[in-house]
Amino acid sequence: MEKIQHNFYQSFIEGGRWQMYLKGVGVTLEIAVFALIIGIVLGILVALVRTSSDQRRPGTHNAPLSVLNVICKIYVTVIRGTPVMVQLLIMYSVIFMQSRNSIGVAVLTFGINSGAYVSEIIRSGIMSVDPGQMEAARSLGLGYRQAMQHVVIPQAIKNILPALGNELITLLKDTSIVTVIGVRDLTKAAQLIQGKTYQALFPYFGIAAIYLVLVMIIAKLIGNLERRMRASDRR
Amino acid sequence: MIDVKDLHKSFGNNEVLCGITEHIDKGEKVVIIGPSGSGKSTFLRCLNMLETPTSGSILFKGTSLTDPKTDINMLRRKMGMVFQHFNLFNNLNIMDNMTLAPVSLKLMTKEQAQEEAVRLLKRVNLEDKAQAYPSQLSGGQKQRIAIVRALAMHPEVMLFDEPTSALDPEMVGEVLEVMKQLADEGMTMVVVTHEMGFAREVGSRVLFMDGGKIAEEGTPQEIFGHPKNLRTQDFLSKVL
Repeated sequence: MEKIQHNFYQSFIEGGRWQMYLKGVGVTLEIAVFALIIGIVLGILVALVRTSSDQRRPGTHNAPLSVLNVICKIYVTVIRGTPVMVQLLIMYSVIFMQSRNSIGVAVLTFGINSGAYVSEIIRSGIMSVDPGQMEAARSLGLGYRQAMQHVVIPQAIKNILPALGNELITLLKDTSIVTVIGVRDLTKAAQLIQGKTYQALFPYFGIAAIYLVLVMIIAKLIGNLERRMRASDRR
Repeated sequence: MIDVKDLHKSFGNNEVLCGITEHIDKGEKVVIIGPSGSGKSTFLRCLNMLETPTSGSILFKGTSLTDPKTDINMLRRKMGMVFQHFNLFNNLNIMDNMTLAPVSLKLMTKEQAQEEAVRLLKRVNLEDKAQAYPSQLSGGQKQRIAIVRALAMHPEVMLFDEPTSALDPEMVGEVLEVMKQLADEGMTMVVVTHEMGFAREVGSRVLFMDGGKIAEEGTPQEIFGHPKNLRTQDFLSKVL
């Protein structure tokens, strides 16, 4: 019993180690939040290119759009087809080998990675909206962009919130991979403490609990948002 | 008002419209009947380019709809459309459904559009539903609102694509009543329907479509009283 107490003390309190976890949480959240912002912006752009290219009137040609569409397809294929850890190593050790800002590289890598998944989520959301909604908007004389903006996208967002929440949760947990490029995130904090104390149990169960709590908070927030957006579904 | 010349439409290898030539005058109430799969809805949807014809031409008040240089959005403002499944915007309440197009196309200010919407809602006795969402309404209510939503754009012609086919039988009457009123006011209407009573009573001309062609056309008396075409006779004997 005394040994357990001592281990706990060593893992969390001695030398102010709890601050390392706290800083780690900060770095993990920083990477996840900024990566998500990049991911959503990229995802929306890619999804809009892909759907407006798919929904083009047959017989019409639009060369820039076709080129963009091909680029977007390649982007999604390559990013989804390679492990995020490999992407991170390539970004850190090849593309940005001069840079010392490893957090920045991590944010960019996870943002680009997330964008590919988010774009497919948004695309599925747009396609899940009844085509009749678009037709009705167009039949009133609204243009494609106006119809998307006022009618289709608001309904698509409501449909994809659960999937988008899932992506955010996955992203948050996947950031633990940044330890391979030496970023001091939450997982790295546990590794460092284990290296000093030779105690694995408390640091790793400790950070597992912290990740779990973070995810539960996110899930709760998304649940609230979903409920609010379902207002137009009341019967 | 609408001039259709040798209209063809294929989906892949499936030719749905095989050469339709038709002229619709201002004030006419054209009712299109026929078996399912005969191309009635596709024909109607070509009239406002929701389907792009494979070949042929459509003129609306002298402007070609099929010309790629034509601004189709400008012409659609003048052609209201009512769908089988209502297609009210689910994310907007009834008031916003009615004012979205006039306001975002800058044809009216928000206040003007709302005033107009209230006037139109009163006309179909649904002014108390302005703040409701589509999911809170019955089918008949939704369709009446879909009709006045189209009217808010002050269209010159109204296209109806089986407006009562998705309704419970008890709600068909209230929608047909609104359409009859509209007809009495002189609106130009093109209606695809299975409501033979409505066709007979309101239609100024009836088109019978079969196999992507107009097999027979005439006044309701001619079509329902003395159909000449064998397919028309066969179809009418089944539905009447």
